[in-house]
Amino acid sequence: MRDLLLSRRGFLIGCSVAASQLLTPVSFAAAPGENRLVVVLLRGAMDGMDVLRPVGDPAYAGLRPTLSRTGGVPLDGFFALHPDAADLLPLWHAGQLGFVQAVATPYRAGRSHFVAQDALETGSGGADGNGGAAGDGWLNRAVGLIPGAGAQMAVSVGRERLMILDGDVPTAHWFPAEETGLSSQGIALLTRLHEADPLLAATYAEAQALTQATAAERIPKDAKALSQLGSYVAGRLRDDARIASFSLGGWDTHQGQARTMSDQMPLLASTLLAIRDGLGRAWDTTLVLAMTEFGRTARENGSTGTDHGTGGMMIAAGGALRGGRVFGQWPGLADGQLLAERDLMPTGDVRAYAGWALRSLFGIEAQALERVVFPDLDLGADPGLLR
Amino acid sequence: MTEPASLLEEIRFGYGPRVGWSLAAGPGGGGVDPDRVLLQLDTPDPAADLWTPLSYAQRQASLAEARRRRQGQPPQGQVVDLRPVARRDAVGFVARPASARCGFVERLVNLWANRLTVSASGGPEQFIPPYRDEAIRPHVAGRFADMLRAALWHPAMQAYLSQTGSVGPNSDLGLRKGRGLNENLAREFLELHSLGAGFGQDDVTELARLLAGMRSDGVTRTLDARAAEPGTKTILGERYRDGVDEIDRLVETAAIHPETANSIAVMLARHFVADVPPVDLVDSLRDAYLRADGQLRPVYRVLLAHPTARDPALAKLRSPQEYVAATLRAVGLTGDPEETPAFRKRGLRLSEVMARMGQPIFAARRPDGWPELAQGWLTPPMLASRLDWAADLARLTGDRADPVAQTHAVLGDLASPLLVSAVAAAEQRWEGLAVLLGSPDMMRR
Repeated sequence: MRDLLLSRRGFLIGCSVAASQLLTPVSFAAAPGENRLVVVLLRGAMDGMDVLRPVGDPAYAGLRPTLSRTGGVPLDGFFALHPDAADLLPLWHAGQLGFVQAVATPYRAGRSHFVAQDALETGSGGADGNGGAAGDGWLNRAVGLIPGAGAQMAVSVGRERLMILDGDVPTAHWFPAEETGLSSQGIALLTRLHEADPLLAATYAEAQALTQATAAERIPKDAKALSQLGSYVAGRLRDDARIASFSLGGWDTHQGQARTMSDQMPLLASTLLAIRDGLGRAWDTTLVLAMTEFGRTARENGSTGTDHGTGGMMIAAGGALRGGRVFGQWPGLADGQLLAERDLMPTGDVRAYAGWALRSLFGIEAQALERVVFPDLDLGADPGLLR
Repeated sequence: MTEPASLLEEIRFGYGPRVGWSLAAGPGGGGVDPDRVLLQLDTPDPAADLWTPLSYAQRQASLAEARRRRQGQPPQGQVVDLRPVARRDAVGFVARPASARCGFVERLVNLWANRLTVSASGGPEQFIPPYRDEAIRPHVAGRFADMLRAALWHPAMQAYLSQTGSVGPNSDLGLRKGRGLNENLAREFLELHSLGAGFGQDDVTELARLLAGMRSDGVTRTLDARAAEPGTKTILGERYRDGVDEIDRLVETAAIHPETANSIAVMLARHFVADVPPVDLVDSLRDAYLRADGQLRPVYRVLLAHPTARDPALAKLRSPQEYVAATLRAVGLTGDPEETPAFRKRGLRLSEVMARMGQPIFAARRPDGWPELAQGWLTPPMLASRLDWAADLARLTGDRADPVAQTHAVLGDLASPLLVSAVAAAEQRWEGLAVLLGSPDMMRR
């Protein structure tokens, strides 16, 4: 695969540990037709219950005494949207935003980010998350099944390749954004280690304060970079590409979740809106799926955050979406309804939704989806994601 | 091919394990086997030797030839462009230890070169790499007296500590031009290079009288009769006449002085074991040094066999060079931009990285060299630069990393449980690697 670096500026300009977590190689695959699919990988395990708040569930407020405090924007009487994602409300009312509740990959073994992200990207059907011998991405296999998705349209750019689009079928990679530093979770982990070291603790605290002081000036730049990323993705999709994938980190909210989420939600919203704005009329035939490796614990933990869970939530957007609704089944939060008395019980396989999307957008046969793209997946009934 | 070292040997007596190399196993990082470590002193290290710098003689010849040509004389030899040479020298300061098989040898070279510092702040940078390779490296496993003599006479040292301008006041030159002594080298020789204590200003002045007029081109050592101070000199209670031989005799005497033995014992124990080393270790090292008449190998053996050498608690903070080299080894790189072009980029250039961490390459601020104690490296900006480097290096290499396995490979059972859980809790692979590389565990040895 041929790699080119688009960014001519040093990728570390202004980079520091405390700068925010936009990182993201963008992967594209070109395919014929007007339908478009964008897969966003929300790395770190987004707390679906905080984005799409089940305020109608009687157990919700009790499980999340601090996180529930800010209420949310009512959507359908049962769910409310995170208040800092309110910019997305017009999309919801236009039927161009929807959510898929209580979904997960089949991975159940360890709640490990690394294994779960691999499982999400390889489309693994194993409870151990094992992707099989090939270790290639499900979206790569899907591209291989789309008639006319020629190798001549595939270019690769950038250092880091998303596993989801990696494999035998040539795909294009770009790297349009500046690299930035660690996520807040990464910083929190390093902080914990340095705080425990008597030699380093005091200097580390000062170093962090110093870095944060300079990083504060960079936040607008990162938000801008994210919407630039959205515009860039849109530009590629207006051109040859029909499938795009990128990752968005920073969702591992073990502590102080309210603060992190009020940073993250506007970033996510502005990225989605930039894609819409950049696509123009092509937005009408576009579906965006933003998925994450797993959900988080139903209960708040002791540091006003949440820990690794199971059942999560997928965000769907686009003019091709039959939106303004929440797909899937709500498993409930009452005693006995949680998985292992802690996690939201998954009621759907995230791969099935992706499979149906591929079928509707690109005409991939159900049989091929169940054998090649997601081996051993039972697609089930069409959830009717698309118009 | 040397016998595989243990993890602890690589960490405490080298630059950390290089990923992919097999290591001698065992609990507590595999312990320390003195024989195994000492074997490194006799083992060729081709990977490290790739970074052998251009010699002093070659650089000097090139500069002389360039001078000749500038004066319009016909070419006689080659002129080497020394700017790219200097850039490679700087990379080699980190890349050589990062690629070395025999990490103990590289640690010793850097330790002794630091004791006998020649710095670019106040002297020509060009001559430091050959100085390190010609005056220090050949002697780290031999006699200290030989190293001391080679350092004293090396043109780079002579220039750095202004010996070239020292003239005996009663010499020809002194009497005719009214010039006098420069005590700089004489003072640092006694204060930093050898005794460290137990001498007075008279000894310094007398030594300056002895050294006046010494000349060396890196090969031939002479005493310039026009600048040499006539008469006897009394240094440390002993009388010396003129001449190169007499300077050699002084070096031999200073090298096996009990104060020198003590100073070297403290240096070794403090460098390898702890900022405040155990008294019994310092005593044993000093005794071993005196017993061996300044032979270094038996002293190293005492150090390696001491119980603190195999203590799994890592008490020392790595210097920036040690830290950068150790992190590079942990991800299997050397920092060489010709091998990995990313190291040309702003933020990843080794010369910049090292300067931000407080150790600008070849440019120690003072003749006493880089700090040995942790506090010398612990300012907030310096530590922030280490964390930036950890994130940047992880970003460069960590897409498909297995940070948990890498932690085990780099630290084995020396990794703190806190580190193991933190690395596993990172939200992405590269961030897990960043947590490992930026951890206190990785900054210690």
